[in-house]
Amino acid sequence: MVITGRFVLLALLGVVPVILFPGATPILLWATLLAVLAAVDAALAASPRRVGIVRTLPDSVRLGEECTSALVLRNDTARRLRATVREAWQPSAGARDPEQRVVIPPGESRRMSVLLQPSRRGILRVGTVTIRSSGPLGMAARQLAVPAPGVLRVLPPFNSKRHLPSKLRRLRELDGQSAVQIRGAGTEFDSLRDYVRGDDVRSIDWRATARRRDTVVRTWRPERDRRVVVVLDTSRTSAARVLDEPRLDTGIEAALLLSVLAERGGDKVHFLAFDRRLRARVDSTAKGNLLSSLVTAMAPLEAELIEADWSRVPAQVRAASAHRSLVVLLTSLDAGAVEEGLLPALPGLTERHVVLVASVRDPRLEEMRGDRTTAAATFRAAAAERALLDRAAVAQQIRLLGAEVVDAVPSELPPQLADAYIRLKAAGRL
Amino acid sequence: MGDGGSALRTARTRARRVLPLLVGALVLALVLLVNLIPGPEEDDRPLSPGNPGPAGAMAVTEVLSAEGIDVVRATSSEDALDALSAGPATLFLNDPRQYLSADQVAELASASDRAVLAAPGDRQLSELADGFAVVGPAPVGLAGDAPTVAAQCADPDATAAGRITVAGTAYAGSTECFAVELPAAADGPAGGDTDQDTDQDDARTGGLYVTGSSGRVSVLGAPELLSNASITEEGHAALALRALGSSPTLVWYEPTGADIVSVGEGIDPLTLLPPWVNPLLLWLLACAVLAMLWRGRRLGPLAAEPLPVVVRAAETAEGRARLYQDARSVDHAARNLRAATLARMARRLRVDRSASPLEVVDAAARHTGRPRVELEQRLLHHTPTSHRDLVHWAQEILDLEKEITSS
Repeated sequence: MVITGRFVLLALLGVVPVILFPGATPILLWATLLAVLAAVDAALAASPRRVGIVRTLPDSVRLGEECTSALVLRNDTARRLRATVREAWQPSAGARDPEQRVVIPPGESRRMSVLLQPSRRGILRVGTVTIRSSGPLGMAARQLAVPAPGVLRVLPPFNSKRHLPSKLRRLRELDGQSAVQIRGAGTEFDSLRDYVRGDDVRSIDWRATARRRDTVVRTWRPERDRRVVVVLDTSRTSAARVLDEPRLDTGIEAALLLSVLAERGGDKVHFLAFDRRLRARVDSTAKGNLLSSLVTAMAPLEAELIEADWSRVPAQVRAASAHRSLVVLLTSLDAGAVEEGLLPALPGLTERHVVLVASVRDPRLEEMRGDRTTAAATFRAAAAERALLDRAAVAQQIRLLGAEVVDAVPSELPPQLADAYIRLKAAGRL
Repeated sequence: MGDGGSALRTARTRARRVLPLLVGALVLALVLLVNLIPGPEEDDRPLSPGNPGPAGAMAVTEVLSAEGIDVVRATSSEDALDALSAGPATLFLNDPRQYLSADQVAELASASDRAVLAAPGDRQLSELADGFAVVGPAPVGLAGDAPTVAAQCADPDATAAGRITVAGTAYAGSTECFAVELPAAADGPAGGDTDQDTDQDDARTGGLYVTGSSGRVSVLGAPELLSNASITEEGHAALALRALGSSPTLVWYEPTGADIVSVGEGIDPLTLLPPWVNPLLLWLLACAVLAMLWRGRRLGPLAAEPLPVVVRAAETAEGRARLYQDARSVDHAARNLRAATLARMARRLRVDRSASPLEVVDAAARHTGRPRVELEQRLLHHTPTSHRDLVHWAQEILDLEKEITSS
């Protein structure tokens, strides 16, 4: 049983008889009156046990967007239900109005909408719906927490989508481009067409020219149906926050842009999230929309507080794609972790594949480096310089092992990774 | 969805939830109850006849009882007066906190056949006809131990005791026994330097056991000699038994705060309040409890949030900076700054990665037009030694780097 503010007010009104007739009698009488009123009121309240709850909830919502959780409450009692209903969403679901008052006549249903604006990617849960049903006098209420589990999948926002049109345009410029403008832009034979002035004479196909008795040139296009394997590191290093965003989330943005771009570019995309074991895997060859299956697979990813086991990555890549592929490793370039984990495993990948290591650089290090106003700041600058030097050394070691390195601040990583892909594709290295 | 279950099940889950709280409350109540039950009270007051500890006076009262003297413990002034008026009796008044007024002390003393006052205050002696006065605390030896003093007086009790060795307060009166000499009052702490001061003219003397002119009232300036710990030393026992055991009844009176006589008729301020104040306060208390119950009840259980770890990526660099600073590792910091600056300058000046620092300085000198020696001195050979020097040098090479990279 729950008492209400009205009940407390009535109790305070008891001050009047207590002052007028000092003694124990008015106190006892008033207390009895209160107890009887509360008991009667609670007894007359509609039972929250006999309220049917049906929730309609979208499967998923993109981070930054809103959605509604709709509860349909059906009053199965013969009494009027006057209730305060609370849907207990976890705080990061950003429920705008989780507590609402509803009045439902007997036998009818009412709909209650809770507006959600999630503030974090991942799987959000709701455990219970609490119904506090008050009596006709509004003095006392009956309260019950009804288990009503619900799950909302909050997808990564894919903010790097805004880079997609410009990168696609660049990709299309490669596609079907005649050898006239950029010779060597792709190596796959596309078609023959008539020679126009300005075409590179080296691309004239003399055999066809002889057949047609008209000068004909060959055109080229970038290779298609190549394979791109994106490996996202979900180990402890991906939990570190750069500009208050975990490295993992920046990696997800970059992986999304690259995957969508590569798929539109006609390549096959495989996405793996890996630390010591496979956390998620998506293949563009599977049925359905690649983007939606990617965001669905990425939504529940969390940084695991364990060290990544890079020695198992080559096998995972082989399982995803048996052929020569572009392997993109989205990880961090922290000196210790890379030297012990990634570097020994890298030769196993570079001998079969083209490897691209992408990492988020912390702009805070650059800030620390430039500030030399006090002794403490200078020591910070020295430490930042050391960190940057270590990073550069690690990047250099990776390059020596035959892999490419993309090292950029969070906002720049997705477009730079896309640029690197386009560059490799244009050079025909895929 | 929406299965509310049965009322029984809800009651059962709630009961299970509050069970630990109930058990805790029960334990708390038990502990309180055990503490509230009055157990056999242990008497640990000093010089209490029921206290067998070192500070108590059970030994002397037991011996007196064995000698056939009726030891009566009085708990109030009226008790004491009643016991004294019943027959010939000796009063032992032990009032270390000085609860009694001078009038009360005089009244008690006059009602008794013989009175021994244990270290009374000056104020309490003013109404007695015997002319006692407090002289001051008796000096103690250098090590804090009490000196032994001899009776040196005409009082038969004291003479029988011979010598006592105990600290206390010296009094002046008609028969001063166990006389001690006190240094002049203005001479700082009384203890410690008695030996040097004995020959001073203004040295005062007083007795630790002083009997008044009437011979009926004595002041015992050193009541500790009655304690269980010291009763066996020197002539303590003799003095105690003779002084307290002269009458068939001994009234042992230790006043309490309840014996304080109030001056005039005070008005209880509570009687001025209207009669409804107490019930009103009680009712408001009940209302406050109800308001707590109203506001304190949550609308359902809390929703848990699985929080992500928060690790800032630059944290390791900042930790390293603090390590440098705590270890005052100026040369380490300088080496890092120099290496990074040279690496960036080499990239900007398009010097090969494997080039030596001297080659980079050469290129920098060519680029900026500055003298090579100056650059070399500044970049390569200067080693900061203090924090101040490091800051200055770091800014200098940063400026140099900016000059090269911006031009």
